[in-house]
Amino acid sequence: MRLRLVWIAASFMLLVLGSVGPAAAQPAGTLVVGAVAEPVNLDAAQVTDFNSTRVIRRITEALVAFPDNSTQLIPGLAESWTVGRDGLSYTFKLRRGVRFHDGTPFNAEAVKFSFERQIHPDHPFNKLGKYPFASFNFGTIKSVEAVDEHTVQFVMKEPRASFLTIMAGAAANIVSPTAVKKWGADYPNHPVGTGPFRFVSWDRGQRIVLEKNPDYWKGPVKVERVIVRPIVEDQARLTELLTGNLDLAVNLPPDFIAQLENHPKITVLRGQGAHVWYLGINNQKKPFDDKRVRQAMNYAVNKEAIVRDVLKGTGLVSAGPVLPGTWGAEPGLKPYPYDPERARKLLAEAGHAGGFATTLWVPESGSGMQSPVAMATVIQSNLKAVGINVALQTMEWGAFLAKLRTKEQEMFALSWAAGNEDPDLVVYPLLHSSQWTPGGPNRALYKNARLDDLLQQARLVTDQAKRAELYRQAQRILVDDPPWIFIDHEIQVGAVSKRVQGFTLHPSFDLRVETISLK
Amino acid sequence: MKTYLVRRLLLVGPVLLGVSVVVFMVLHLSPGDPAEIMLGPQATKEDLERLRTELGLTEPLPVQYARWLGHVVQGDLGRSLWMKRPVLGEVLGRFQATLILTGTALLLSTVGGIALGVASATRPNSLLDRLSAVASLFGVSMPVFWLGIVLMVIFALWLGWLPASGMYSPYGGGDLRDLLAHLALPAVTLAAASVTIVARLTRSTMLETLGQDYIRTARAKGVVERLVVLRHGLRNALIPIVTVVGVQAGYLLGGAVLTETVFAWPGVGTLMVQGILARDFPLVQGCVLVVALCFVLVNLAVDALYAWLDPRIRLE
Repeated sequence: MRLRLVWIAASFMLLVLGSVGPAAAQPAGTLVVGAVAEPVNLDAAQVTDFNSTRVIRRITEALVAFPDNSTQLIPGLAESWTVGRDGLSYTFKLRRGVRFHDGTPFNAEAVKFSFERQIHPDHPFNKLGKYPFASFNFGTIKSVEAVDEHTVQFVMKEPRASFLTIMAGAAANIVSPTAVKKWGADYPNHPVGTGPFRFVSWDRGQRIVLEKNPDYWKGPVKVERVIVRPIVEDQARLTELLTGNLDLAVNLPPDFIAQLENHPKITVLRGQGAHVWYLGINNQKKPFDDKRVRQAMNYAVNKEAIVRDVLKGTGLVSAGPVLPGTWGAEPGLKPYPYDPERARKLLAEAGHAGGFATTLWVPESGSGMQSPVAMATVIQSNLKAVGINVALQTMEWGAFLAKLRTKEQEMFALSWAAGNEDPDLVVYPLLHSSQWTPGGPNRALYKNARLDDLLQQARLVTDQAKRAELYRQAQRILVDDPPWIFIDHEIQVGAVSKRVQGFTLHPSFDLRVETISLK
Repeated sequence: MKTYLVRRLLLVGPVLLGVSVVVFMVLHLSPGDPAEIMLGPQATKEDLERLRTELGLTEPLPVQYARWLGHVVQGDLGRSLWMKRPVLGEVLGRFQATLILTGTALLLSTVGGIALGVASATRPNSLLDRLSAVASLFGVSMPVFWLGIVLMVIFALWLGWLPASGMYSPYGGGDLRDLLAHLALPAVTLAAASVTIVARLTRSTMLETLGQDYIRTARAKGVVERLVVLRHGLRNALIPIVTVVGVQAGYLLGGAVLTETVFAWPGVGTLMVQGILARDFPLVQGCVLVVALCFVLVNLAVDALYAWLDPRIRLE
């Protein structure tokens, strides 16, 4: 009796387990990519997350582009451009003979359409979507004129030195007007562009399938088909990669790297990232309004240990907000050394020899946040060693962002992306006093009159060498009068199976699978 | 019986209304809103305010709720803020995957749990009984996500017997065999806690039943032991077991949220997590409403089962 029942249960389990076999062989020419989350939709103008743009940028393209290894600006769908003398107009000469995947010719009208649907509230297709960054990105555009079939002119309300960089962003991608008119509000699920791959299908929660564009203007694409699978759980993504069900995975947690590096079928890739991870300090609250206190905190934190032990080498110790090696970076900048003795001395000078207590807000996760809680815990113990008692408060990402608008923060952990194209997109919003939260992203409520002045000048000058000099001065000020504790710049980590050839991680966090050939 | 069922069915409306109010309030009162999340740390105040207005978030909560409800009663759950697709289609599209997963897990936990419980009860304090007691403690204490990852590492990574995630293999596949292979780990993970609960309860009620006089009578009549246990014993022990299985069905629907996330199972659970993280209000409300409806219907079915199992119960 007893045995029989156990047998029934056991054979039931076997029935399930018995239907198992080795995974189907990968078809030649198909690349499977593991994404951290499912893209929300595929209209570049209507998304704000990397998981979506990494897919969208395979389908649609912008007038200005980045080469495969840097964020220097090069021609994309525009062959060339000229900037008006006063910086108040930009004229783009468009590439000829390019067609969208649906056969619609790429021309000045398509460019005009792609921007006007975002910026003109009375455009017939404006109401069919929500364009979250339209005013941030394109708010300085007065009008878009189709001069002739292959020439477009953007007229500006005011000069903006970083405009060309913005024109290389995903929101500036050109979409097929025919497709937008055909699908209307449903266009984000039926994207059509000029890119190396065309959209084929989307099984929700399972996969997005792209097929190569045989007429791609840049030349032949070597991968026939790309399948993007959303796999949220890190361990599942890792297992799928190790068992050959994924060819490419990015955003791998630091703890997995050693295991992957020793694996015969996997190659680990590293690449420059685009983030600055910082510990914000409320510069207007006591005792943080004294710059000696902020300097002391920079000396007190052992950044090298965080990068080595928590991030397993997937970070670069930070000396300031601008990414090292980019055109606006000050090469002579040195990170604050770890020197608790000096920190104590500075605190004593500032009248806090006995230390003080404060609160640190930390998100549990979030875009570009690396390992926020583990990192904050190290920072907490470092600060305690010099007498600063920090209480950690961890929060969910959405709640955290909302709370930062209250101006009640004392300290907070945050990171900022898109830092390598133009310092204006980092230093100005984060540190100019006109950008104080809740109006802007200067959540440290930092104010330095000389810095404000330099950043404003750098916005109005169009000569890059002159701008670089202004930004270098600005960075030297920030070392002496630190707004935050500078922590690190993320190093991207990805892993590919050995059949993947010719892939590198792009500094803009784009995922350029069109450069891949499969063995 | 019929009037009872009709009365119960009429209650479904108010229950769902209550659920929708609670979910609406929890979502809207928790810090962070869709605009905040969509725009991220780079948002300016103007961008936020403009987007909030466009999304209709600036109106008073009762107005927003009334408008949403007005659409729902017409069968329109609204459009997802991010996916730009109608919520109803999206949720129903994913619901099949959730049903397959929870259905299999329920079957595993019911069949496995009753079998184990009966086996333990017929030989109390045997090795099997003790092992099952230890396993029960283990099954109930293990968090789903932890157990899922452990099973994944063993069966997918080390042994290579089963795929680690998804519902079908990314290329090809798509047949029943492929589905069962992908279903095995998440279904076992999800069922682990329930199977032990059902087993322990079956054991104790069976022990009680098998001590009754009519069992002794049956044995004295010379009825074979198998029939004594199954027909006279189990059938009479079934009422509390069915109750627990009904409760477990609800538990499994909830547990599917975590299990689906761990195994990238394309069901309502992964959709709901995505929706919560993005504060996609219409999407989360739609998911919860459909899951709640399902839960209410399962409870109704359990009540109906009582009457069938025990004719003395007339559900007055």
